[in-house]
Amino acid sequence: MNRHIRILGIALMVCFIALFVQLNRIQLVDQEELQDNPNNFRKIERNFSRDRGSIFTSDGTIVATSIEVDHDLERERLYPEGELYAHATGFFSFQFGADGLERQYNDELAGQTTGQRFESFADLFRDTDTTANVTITLDHGVQQMAREALGDRKGSVVALDPRTGDIIAFWSSPSYDPGLLGSVDLDAALAFWTELDGSARGEDPRLPRMYREIFFPGSTFKVVTAGAALQAGVATMSEPVFAEVVEYVAPLTSLPLRNFAGNVCGGDMLESLRRSCNTAFAELAAEIIGPGPMIETAEAFGFNDTPPIDLPAAAASNFPDDFGIQVNETDGDPPVPIVENTPALAQAGIGQNDVKATPLQMALVAAGIANGGIIMEPHLMQEIRDQQGVLVDEFEPAVWRSPLSSANANILRSAMVTAATSGTAVGLQVGGFEVGGKTGTAQVDAARPDETHAWIIGFGGPPGEDPTVAIAVVVEAVPDGVQQTGGAVAAPVAQAVLRAALQASAGS
Amino acid sequence: MKPTRVLTNPTAETHMRSRRRNTELALLLMAVVVILAAYILASLGRLAEIPANIVPFLIVILGLLLVAHVATRRLAPQADPVLLPLAGLLNGFGYVFIARLDEDLAGLQATWTLLGVGAFIATLLVVPRTRWLEQYRYTLMLVGIGLLVLPLVPIVGQEINGARIWVSLGPINFQPGEFAKIAFAIFFAAYLVEKRELLAMSSRRFLGMAFPEARHLGPILVAWSASLLVMVAEKDLGSSLLFFTLFVVLLWVATERSSYLVMSLIMFAGGSLISYNRFGHVRQRVEVWLEPFGDPLGDGFQVTQAAFALADGGLTGTGLGVGSPNTENIPAVETDFIFAIIGEELGLMGTTAVLVAFMLMIGGGLRIALVAERPFEKLLATGLTTLLGFQAFIIIAGVIRVLPLTGVTLPFVSYGGSSLLANWVLLALLLRISDDTANRRAEAAAAQLAEASPVSA
Repeated sequence: MNRHIRILGIALMVCFIALFVQLNRIQLVDQEELQDNPNNFRKIERNFSRDRGSIFTSDGTIVATSIEVDHDLERERLYPEGELYAHATGFFSFQFGADGLERQYNDELAGQTTGQRFESFADLFRDTDTTANVTITLDHGVQQMAREALGDRKGSVVALDPRTGDIIAFWSSPSYDPGLLGSVDLDAALAFWTELDGSARGEDPRLPRMYREIFFPGSTFKVVTAGAALQAGVATMSEPVFAEVVEYVAPLTSLPLRNFAGNVCGGDMLESLRRSCNTAFAELAAEIIGPGPMIETAEAFGFNDTPPIDLPAAAASNFPDDFGIQVNETDGDPPVPIVENTPALAQAGIGQNDVKATPLQMALVAAGIANGGIIMEPHLMQEIRDQQGVLVDEFEPAVWRSPLSSANANILRSAMVTAATSGTAVGLQVGGFEVGGKTGTAQVDAARPDETHAWIIGFGGPPGEDPTVAIAVVVEAVPDGVQQTGGAVAAPVAQAVLRAALQASAGS
Repeated sequence: MKPTRVLTNPTAETHMRSRRRNTELALLLMAVVVILAAYILASLGRLAEIPANIVPFLIVILGLLLVAHVATRRLAPQADPVLLPLAGLLNGFGYVFIARLDEDLAGLQATWTLLGVGAFIATLLVVPRTRWLEQYRYTLMLVGIGLLVLPLVPIVGQEINGARIWVSLGPINFQPGEFAKIAFAIFFAAYLVEKRELLAMSSRRFLGMAFPEARHLGPILVAWSASLLVMVAEKDLGSSLLFFTLFVVLLWVATERSSYLVMSLIMFAGGSLISYNRFGHVRQRVEVWLEPFGDPLGDGFQVTQAAFALADGGLTGTGLGVGSPNTENIPAVETDFIFAIIGEELGLMGTTAVLVAFMLMIGGGLRIALVAERPFEKLLATGLTTLLGFQAFIIIAGVIRVLPLTGVTLPFVSYGGSSLLANWVLLALLLRISDDTANRRAEAAAAQLAEASPVSA
């Protein structure tokens, strides 16, 4: 019997070794795979239940914070300002993950960066609160003004400091209350989410239109075209002089391109910019600048690239990067190649065709012109400090693009000041400050000329000094609505926000 | 003449006796230190404070284990010194996790542990010699069958969580099956010792193996049908598998005929196939085993959640008392699935420690079987060890998806009065066999010594 008892012993040992092997598989080899299994909510739950720092504006307004609640999930995310900062903070939800700053700075807020977790060797043995608070560059007063000025209309407002890239106002409408998604009332959160999912494309309040949606920039793009001409050295503010015409027919097409409202428009580049002549800028782009320099300058301003903003999934603005092969050339000096898609290039020169930009991108165009041709990296985070006040991270201003020489930037800047003094952008004037601007009225569809996005970009600052605020506003077209021009519709919004921002920056 | 001779060498005997018990005492004290540390850490992890009842807790576990130790010193002085500390360690360890999960259950488990140690001492008292058990084999068989079918009796029998294995007598609920398995182990051992020569007789050979006569297949058929009955009528896959394994192992060890093993395996396969096709609860277990993520929120919830808990544990665990609250929601985490929370909070280190503890218990039990001299004692020790070791194996295997899940408790660790009591009785019987063997050896050695050196009186 002893031999059989020994065999039994060996058999049982083999059974236990099998258990040991399987335990190694589950606990070590497949550990990560199991933790990332879509049915495994532990990671999310841990993250959600963990203590989490707050988000404050630069003036100390609490934008997002966590409180302990009597619930299995232990904590709930609160957004005391409701919808006002939704597109900056994003949301932090048990069921739907996180977006916006909540996502971008998740590890810092939750105290999970390596630096926060192991500040010193002693931290390994201490249960310290490692969470951190994020201070953002937005100004509560300016942000509120943006919401108030835009009202119920769909649109976006982006204001930033061109010298540093600090974003001062970041509002798009419609918005939503992220607190409804951060609630531990999971059924209510799901119902709200489902309701939002049902909204039509372009109507979803979760969409941060200012950096994830692109629109025809229309005439605001003319400053880019003008910049291309200056950079290429093919035009100055006074040379050449464009004919006073109603329409312009580009080479290789017979379809005329008209001025706004069928007006007669022309003059030198300064005059054309002041009056926003489509005919002049179409001709400038198609026959004087040509495709190469147009693409080069548009891309130098940041088109066809994602702006380095500290938010997830920012959209790239679009400028066509190929207008086809050369078929002819102009008789100018130097001659400009005429390419297959020169008619498209003419449209692109006035911000139509395939040109589409986020409001953030157009604010950066204004900022680059205001800041001597240098575009700084746009950002929301100012600094991150842990609960003991120790600095975790701090934003260091950095150059993103340099599309213009400082001389050309200053030329363009004074042209925009002219447009805001006696041109289409006079609505932007703020008493006591030097303000420049450029309006845009972009048709959404040629068949429906009254459906237009009303645009304005601009900047302002103390007279004789560098501008301290750059701004872009778009009020979106209303289907079957009345025509909205940049000067009449977007300018008052931008003016109110610009004034608030200038006063805030002058006061501080 | 002889008895006086035996007593001529009392110092050697008491020396050996006390050395074994001293080893046991030292190991028990180590177990107490481990349990106490775990208890404090679990409280620190969960509530960030030293448990308020730390002194009473220490007194109770120290007291319980010392009482058990003194009882073995008195009643089974020559018994194996490793098994009691291992059982105490596992019991205390399980208690720490139960206390961490549910304070109400912890109070009950403490009571059950007290009763378990009482049952351990009572068994040592009531069974002074293993031979005594052999005499009652048929009584025990009837008791075993009675206990097994008791849950099927209307009024007293209760179905809880889909398994009809409970008996309710007034305020007391218990699982008679836990005790039936011990009764059967004794009966099988005694029965097979009596019949083993008959059963080992072979009439024909096939494929190199000697096969017994057809009429001797009767006992296997009875055991096979009985375990099928348990599975079908009580829906208790675990006990069914355990009974059948117990019988087959003992039959094989007793007869030394591999043909029984082969036939049993064939019958097991047949039974499994029939059950898979006929019974939904069996099919469901197998499907979950094969495809755990097929229905992760429904049938597969328990095992997938257990896998997630174990994965969170990793190598060193999340720490006692600081596992995910999800683990507390795994169905039966205090009982069948207690291994999952051990794995989460103590990691692979902790689960390996539990495996090693069971392997040491199996080793200790089989060593008792090997050195035992009487066939009944050999078989009984083998049977009891198989019950303990195989039960631990099938529940851990079920939790970690080595086998389909069969709901049984993890011996000594899981919450549950019947299981705990039964396992303490099982342990007492193993120690009784160990003590008997050592005594008989000592007597034999003394006798030999006496004969080898004739003293001129």
